[in-house]
Amino acid sequence: MGEEVKRPIIICRCHDVTLDDIVNAIKAGVDNFEVLRKYLRIGFGPCQGRSCVLLAARIFSRLSGVNLSEALSEYKVRPPIIPVAARVLLAGGEK
Amino acid sequence: MRVVIIGGGVSGLFTAYELWKRGVRDIVVLEEKYLGSGGSTRNIGCFRSSFTSPEHVVLMKRSIELWLKYRSELNLQLKQSGYLWIARRPETLGVFKKLATFHWEYSVPTRVLSADEAEHIQPGLNKNIVAGALFDPTAGRMPVLENLVKLYLKLKSLGVVFNFYTKVIKLNTSNYRIKSAITNRGEIEGEVFVVAAGGRGTRGILASINVEFPVVDETRHPVITEPYTEIIKPALVIDWDTPGSPYVTQTEHGGLIFARNISDAHEAPLNSHRIDAIAVTIKPLVELMPALRHVNILRYWIGYYETTPDHHPVYGPLPPYENLYIAAGFSGHGLMMGPVTGELIADWVLNGKPSIQIAENLTIERFKTGKLIKEIAIVG
Repeated sequence: MGEEVKRPIIICRCHDVTLDDIVNAIKAGVDNFEVLRKYLRIGFGPCQGRSCVLLAARIFSRLSGVNLSEALSEYKVRPPIIPVAARVLLAGGEK
Repeated sequence: MRVVIIGGGVSGLFTAYELWKRGVRDIVVLEEKYLGSGGSTRNIGCFRSSFTSPEHVVLMKRSIELWLKYRSELNLQLKQSGYLWIARRPETLGVFKKLATFHWEYSVPTRVLSADEAEHIQPGLNKNIVAGALFDPTAGRMPVLENLVKLYLKLKSLGVVFNFYTKVIKLNTSNYRIKSAITNRGEIEGEVFVVAAGGRGTRGILASINVEFPVVDETRHPVITEPYTEIIKPALVIDWDTPGSPYVTQTEHGGLIFARNISDAHEAPLNSHRIDAIAVTIKPLVELMPALRHVNILRYWIGYYETTPDHHPVYGPLPPYENLYIAAGFSGHGLMMGPVTGELIADWVLNGKPSIQIAENLTIERFKTGKLIKEIAIVG
């Protein structure tokens, strides 16, 4: 996968996770997409997975044989979705 | 001898590792979801031995020794950068002095600091509202997700069998022995059973054989920011004098994690998000470090403190059953206790008693005899 490109192929731009990182982790025995995601921090950065999670899940699915919807079954979108400055939330008031 | 470990988290994995090291070769781990899907991947990755009961101090000190040993053995990441407890009220420093004296009895070198000394350790503290601090230089933090996966890959390479998405429905007994675990994917037999399935998980499994495990999962709401260069110097900065002990830690990847014990329904579902939790959690910490008001909040999640009546774990055998053991109810400290948990449970399984005597105080018997663990000061 990706052999025709002679430079690191970035999958997760927030944490600089490359295609090789993903392939190596799967080869080492990481056998669940949520565990792979947590191990390499795919989708943990400011994009919250919008640019990387589907790409990474497809790679995982292809290499592991786990189908895509099963691979993504544990993935959750968490608030506040986009980064929000602490001062903005504080201005919202406290109970 | 086959040992069946119920629970594929930190406690179950370290128990498997320790048993393997002592010669057990047939080890099966049953996990209802994926690796570490309970508290093991929802915690903030911090550890300390500066607790307020002899049991916690002694066991956590041993656990840190083992973490340091496993750091080289398993190529784990962890750093001892200290815990800094902030006192806002001058009278709290008296409590800190008492705690430091207690810690020194167990060779845990905590020390009481002035506001200036605290600000030296954590630049940017608002000294106008800080009376002083207590510092534990032996405490620290780790990238918990990475370390857990490394331990898992090691165990797999040693031949430990993992069954994920395998939920134990009940235990099958005969003559006060556990014969098998009935799961959603069939029956699994074994000679020894260890239940390390967190709070509600363990409680439910033991209820199937009429053993009462007093635990409640207290809902917590940690918050993480975008990554920044190093802002928080110690592993943890904690606001002792504010209810719910708010604290902040910074991960190896730069994200700042804030958390606080806010009042919430116990055992709230994982998707019962409370957006108000974020402001309530960060407000006191922004008072302590005004620059924090500029950080960007990225994400928040729910986890649980699997809490027993005396906030200490339950370890050891579960009489009247001869081949059943428990390691659960860590009350927020399961990750840091992981290595000593493995050591103690392996002791009980193979030798019938723990190698660290004080651990005998933590068996389930204490809820019958009323000998609950006493703390010299209640933290948060």
